[in-house]
Order: sequence, then structure tokens, then C-alpha cells
Amino acid sequence: MIFNSEISGQQQHTTSPVVTGGSVIALVYNGGVIVGTDTLCSYGSMAAFKNVQKIAQISKNTIYASSGEFSDFQQVVKELAKIDRSALQYDDGVHPSPKDYGNFLARLSYKKRCKINPLYLQNVVAGFHNGERYLALVDIYGTYLESNFITTGFASYFCKAIISNYWNENCTLDQAKQVIRECFKVLFCRDCRAHDVIQLAYVDEQGTHIEEQERVDTKWDFNGFKFRANEKLHTQ
Amino acid sequence: MLKHLYDTDCVTWSPQGKLFQVEYAMEAVKQGSICLGLKSNENVVLCSLKRQPSELAGYQEKQFKIDDHMAIAIAGLTADARVLCKYMRTECLEYKYTYESHHPVGRLVYKVAEKSQHKTQSGAKRPYGVGLLVAGIDPNGVHLFETCPSGNYYEYKCQAIGSRSQAARTYFESWFHLFEKSTLEQLILHGLSAIKKAIMEDEELNEKNVEVGILGKNQKFTHLNAQELRDYIAKLDAFNPNSQIQQE
Repeated sequence: MIFNSEISGQQQHTTSPVVTGGSVIALVYNGGVIVGTDTLCSYGSMAAFKNVQKIAQISKNTIYASSGEFSDFQQVVKELAKIDRSALQYDDGVHPSPKDYGNFLARLSYKKRCKINPLYLQNVVAGFHNGERYLALVDIYGTYLESNFITTGFASYFCKAIISNYWNENCTLDQAKQVIRECFKVLFCRDCRAHDVIQLAYVDEQGTHIEEQERVDTKWDFNGFKFRANEKLHTQ
Repeated sequence: MLKHLYDTDCVTWSPQGKLFQVEYAMEAVKQGSICLGLKSNENVVLCSLKRQPSELAGYQEKQFKIDDHMAIAIAGLTADARVLCKYMRTECLEYKYTYESHHPVGRLVYKVAEKSQHKTQSGAKRPYGVGLLVAGIDPNGVHLFETCPSGNYYEYKCQAIGSRSQAARTYFESWFHLFEKSTLEQLILHGLSAIKKAIMEDEELNEKNVEVGILGKNQKFTHLNAQELRDYIAKLDAFNPNSQIQQE
């Protein structure tokens, strides 16, 4: 999906992304919502920025992550923070709920899509409000979907089987974390633009917790790698 | 006091520190027929007395729904009230479109107050000649606000504005300590009793000249219909707030 605006002197619209983030995987669990991303921003096929935090805390009980053009991610974080700050201006103790942010982002994305100048992102908004878990996907077109689990990018192809086999919406936090780690393990093996360092963040009744980056376990000592196939044939 | 020297427009102060145009606008509110509001922990009730310009005419509506969770009762220039009502409804719709949730009540009242204040600081404009009682429910709780042509706004437990509203306020002063824990029915009867204090001797409350609107935490704004109004008015004579004290 690439629009090439070659008309000079007129406003250029987003044609294709430049610096991109990889898949986002988000799950609800018993007592909250957890979001996982890797820490890589790619410059095309180059693994350019390997230490990037791609999960942002928007408010006390809302977090936001996205895959796609990273500068758009940074812009969205600014836009959502603006809403939170406006609560200070009115000074009335009313704070937006996670759903308010999700819907706002859907409206913003839709508006930009209508001008053929989209925010080149698959957005995930997650939160915990009034005892209820909230998880929503807003895509590049402004489609808004609330769900119990969300995958963006390549995770949609590789990880849904893992999620449906090992996760349910009432699992524990540790179980959910393990599922996400397993998913990123598979992604690192199969997605060329994935990275083995990931970051998890979860929201529960107490608030937001963004964890330190961690490296997924990967296994490379397969016999097939140790003893190359054609060598074996040769000796036989 | 030579009022007429300082009351031509909003941009002239009087030596006593008054803006006479704003004060005159507030007089317009006092000339409107009475409307009052009262709230409990769960509900807000708005009651108003409707005026009939002549026997041939209908009764002037005084309460308007702004959104499912919010409504206003007006006293003063109805035309000005329509402008504010339209503004409030538009703001609520926009908020709902953007955030999929209800506009916080206090914030909308603040916006109306800002709009009203703007009109008091210009040579070419006049203040709105209407006072609103804004009833609304949001995650912060149950609210009743009053707005003024001056641009001030206040939150109340119960309030009455318009002509002869002092009589209703006196009633409130005696009984408002009961409102917090009142049931919806008790609240409505209190409201109607307060309005009854404010009508002329030769007037009577009936389902035509009284308007009652109710809002609840799980109830969207509705008006009582003619039959319900008749039933409540019939219960007024037997209504004794003292019995509520004995219950507690």
C-alpha cells in the first residue's frame, strides 16, 4: 500500500514507513492486561536502534504500544499526553479512562486516513479501569476493535496458534508472560525484522508496571546447525 | 447613585465596583418563572413552573435534555437559553464522538461559564439573560450547578432561581439535610412542596403548569408524564417531611 505523491509544491503525504517497530502482543489475564514488544527499530532491513522502549505510559492506568512508523508512535504519545494534561487545566478531578484514549486514537487515525495521510501504525491501547480490563486495537485505517488478545504485524501470523493453545483470559500474570516470551522466541526465529530483546508492561489495579528489558531464550545448538547436512552426506 | 452614568455597556465600571449591565442581566433571571433542583446520593430532580403567556397559548417548556446524563432548567430569556442549550448539546455530542463517553458535567458548566464571561467583557456584546440549573451525573458523582449571566457558576445541594424563589429556598433550608438519603419519590415530593411555596395564592399546581425532570445513576433523563405528575401532586397534601426523620 504505497501512495507516491509526485506533485511538487503540494503537500506530500505519508508514502511508506522509514523507521519501523516490530510486532506487539497484548493479552488480558486475571487481574490486568499485559503488553509485550521487542526493543528494535529497523531502518528497512537494518537493525538500526536496538534499545528502544516502545511501550509508553499514557496515564496512571493506561499504556500504549504500536508497530509501524516509529516517529508516528512518538507523535501519538504526545497527542495522548495532551489529553491527560488537559485534565490539569480544568482541575476537576476527571481523568480519561483507557477507553477514552482508545476511542480518541480511533477518531484521530480515521481522520488522518481520510486525508490519505495516515498514522502508519497498528496501535494497541491497554488499561485497567473501575475493576475492568481494557484492551483495544486501532489500526492504520482507524478501525477500532476491543478484544481479549491482540497481535500486530508478523505476530498475527506466527503467534495466534501459541496464544490459543497456551493462554486463556483468566490465566495468571506469570502464565501470560510465559506465553508472550514464547511468542517472541518464535518471532525471532521467523521474522527477519524481529529482535531477541523484549520488554513487557502490565496494568492492574495498582497501576502501571513497565519491566526491564529481557533477552528471550533461544536455542541454536541443533544438530542440524552443528553438523551441516551436506557434510554428513559427504562422509557417508 | 447615578446608575445611568455607568450602565450603558459592559466595559464601564461603576465607582462602587459594579458592572451594571451584568447586574441587569441577572435581574432578567429573577423575572423568569421559578425553577429548582435538588439532589440525593443517587438522583437529581428538576422542578419548574411553566408560564402560559395567554389562555390561548401553550405552556413554555423550561427543562431541556442535554444528553442522557445531563439536563438543564432555565429561568430568564428563553431565546438566550436556546443558544446555550444548543451549545451544550453540541459539546456533548462531540465529546461522545471523540471519547465514546459522557461529557463530565462540571467541565461543560465551566465551558458555559467561560462563554458567558466573554459576553461581559466586550463593548459590542451583552450578557446572556438566562440562568441555568444544570443537573448531571458523571463518574465524579451526582451534580447540580447554577450558572449566571455574570459567568460565575456554583455547585449546589439544592437551589431555586426565578421569581419568588426565596420561598422555595427557605423550604430547602429547613429540609435539605434529608435530601442526601432521600428516595426518588421523596425527592420529587420535596421539590413539588418547595414549588408550592412559591406560587401565587390564586394559583394551583397541576400537571399542565408544572414540569418535573429526573436523572439517576442508572436512569437517563426523563420527564414525568401527565399521569405521574397528577399522582405526585395528589400526594403533596399528605406529604410530611417529619416522617422521613423518624425513619432514620
